[in-house]
Amino acid sequence: MSDHNGQVSATPITERVQQLTQLLAPFKKEKPLPEQPKMGFFTDTSLCIGCKACEIACKQWNQLPATTPEWTGTSYDNTQSLGATTWRHVQFIEQIERRIPHVNASDEKVLKLPLFEMDTPVPQMGMDLSALPELAGTPTGTALPFFSTDRWLMRSDVCKHCANAPCQEACPTGAIIHTEFDTVYVQQDICNGCGYCVVACPFDVIARDSEGDGQAHKCTLCYDRLKDGMKPACAKACPTDSIQFGEVEQLKRDAQERLGFLQERGLTDARLYGADDKILEGGLNSFFLLLDEPETYNLPSNPARPSNHVLPTSLGVIVTAAVMGLIGTFFFKQE
Amino acid sequence: MRDTQHEKTERAPTDEAFINKTHSHTSAIEPIPHQSTLLERLASLTTGYTPDSISELKEKTYFDYPAVKAPLWSWEIIWYFFMGGLAAGSYVLASIATLFGKKEDRIVARVGYYASLLALLPCPPLLIKDLGRPEKFLNMLRVFKFKSPMSMGVWGLLTFSGFSGITAMVQASHDGLLGRWWGTRLLSRIPLKLLAIPGSIFGVFLGGYTGVLLTVTSIPVWSRSKMLGALFVSSAFSTSTALISVILRIIGAPAKTLYKLEKIEWANMLIEITCLLTYLRTAGRTAKALVGSEPKEQGPTFWTMMFGGGLILPWLLQTLMLIAGSKQPRQHTSQGQPTKRGGMGLLVSLLVLMGGYFLRRTVVNAGHASSADARTTLWNARR
Repeated sequence: MSDHNGQVSATPITERVQQLTQLLAPFKKEKPLPEQPKMGFFTDTSLCIGCKACEIACKQWNQLPATTPEWTGTSYDNTQSLGATTWRHVQFIEQIERRIPHVNASDEKVLKLPLFEMDTPVPQMGMDLSALPELAGTPTGTALPFFSTDRWLMRSDVCKHCANAPCQEACPTGAIIHTEFDTVYVQQDICNGCGYCVVACPFDVIARDSEGDGQAHKCTLCYDRLKDGMKPACAKACPTDSIQFGEVEQLKRDAQERLGFLQERGLTDARLYGADDKILEGGLNSFFLLLDEPETYNLPSNPARPSNHVLPTSLGVIVTAAVMGLIGTFFFKQE
Repeated sequence: MRDTQHEKTERAPTDEAFINKTHSHTSAIEPIPHQSTLLERLASLTTGYTPDSISELKEKTYFDYPAVKAPLWSWEIIWYFFMGGLAAGSYVLASIATLFGKKEDRIVARVGYYASLLALLPCPPLLIKDLGRPEKFLNMLRVFKFKSPMSMGVWGLLTFSGFSGITAMVQASHDGLLGRWWGTRLLSRIPLKLLAIPGSIFGVFLGGYTGVLLTVTSIPVWSRSKMLGALFVSSAFSTSTALISVILRIIGAPAKTLYKLEKIEWANMLIEITCLLTYLRTAGRTAKALVGSEPKEQGPTFWTMMFGGGLILPWLLQTLMLIAGSKQPRQHTSQGQPTKRGGMGLLVSLLVLMGGYFLRRTVVNAGHASSADARTTLWNARR
């Protein structure tokens, strides 16, 4: 090989150096990018209408293949869970005969639907509405007397982008990192598909694409869009602003305000999930407003942080090994 | 409509039967074979938790869909845990024999160091095969993370491989297996005792970190109790003692040495039993996936192949043998060590090896069952 100047020896050496640098590229430590404000999602389930636009927008933007449709028979949710190629997932929770009016709890008749057959007067045109008895247990001001208390909860699930992410702590290759936006991101050029993050995640989020490239995948919080100052695809597509995107601090303030508003209106079961620092000792950058207990949404109320188990378990190993070593020594020394 | 009515009429008696059964301590909806009652009693006794289907049904979940992802690990990891344990334990036992053993115990060191290297050889290929992208396995060496047992495990395995390899080479050059040339003369000059101590430390690490690795996850059956590391390291010791005594009983060894190994095996099994019972008690309800008898749960295999056949039975046999052995007068013939082959000890050791394999297998498979149990996962996270 020779270049235009006819220098024969220089080119192969520079080529080899280039090859070597390419080979060693995954081992090179890059300088961290300048810190940006923390970005995250606030998913307000009280606004979700279950349209699944977020699921589709996510698949489109991130070019994720569609999963094979499977009828679950449990609800309109045929996606079932987040996965390697599903980074947004809408849950449908049907709560039928959820809140039986307290006053008539013992009365068999109350349980039967429709409620028109009850002694409660049906509101009619020209009636004095204030005279109607209100169903106990229904949020004041929200329920019309002929409405049952059945409700349909919907929630768009997504990666929680934990401040102390168990997947990131578990990753043995350093493929999973916190980006400059403090989001949790899998560097695909580095991940080798060991699968440790999959069992470390307490939220059923990250998964290995066993049919695809064999690597771990999850929501990137549209890192590529973020870099260009754009909203993530799901937040952009959400028609009701159930998915809000922004600076985490601001979102948390908004969430508190929204929670206060809902509680004032009688939704006393409403709560924030991951907005404080309790979950995984640092909170979640992608947090939720829930209308019921976390377990209703398959969310763990207070998951353990796996990396906290390293020390106590290692101590057990050391003590046991020491005892066994001493016993072995004792018996070998015996005549 | 007809279907639903039909279903309802069919379901009513089952529900009644189900409630009746729960009262008579057999809590499963389907009729169950007779022997599982005993297994269920054992499960309740050891874990301190009796499955209460009625109160568990009241717990909230989302259509019982799993709340954590299922592990991706299967037979490769099971065999790696087993072989890695053997490699680690054999090395440590051989080192103890080197450092503290009498002259006739040298055979333990020799067999132990070779067995360690041989058991270690299949480990890296098994681990690499298990990756989603095996060709990218070198990326494991990019980082050194104290918080990630897998990262530490990679470095620990690498270091231990070095020690195991060099020690086996030194042993081989002592034994003249590598021929006689300047290289072997150089190798045989390295004192084994110098390698034994740091090598054993990494051996203990390799034997125990696999349990830590499983504990540092969100899978309930693995992560609730903090005893899995202790359990795995104790099993590593007892299985490797068993492996060495199997080999010695086949090739023949001094009766005195075999008697020492029997006592060590007995003590190791006792510690393993203690670790296992502590693990089950501290895991409580989450241990259901390991000891329960419902579909996918590992109870039947665990109780028969591991706890019963692979631990309690060999321990009882060993106890009987030691009692019988201590009553016999020990003949001290200093000239010409009497060598011994075969015997009951062979059966005991083979049973222990079987138990060690099934311990890894049932624990790893229990992780799959546990991840599918949303109610227990959410209960475990309630803290």
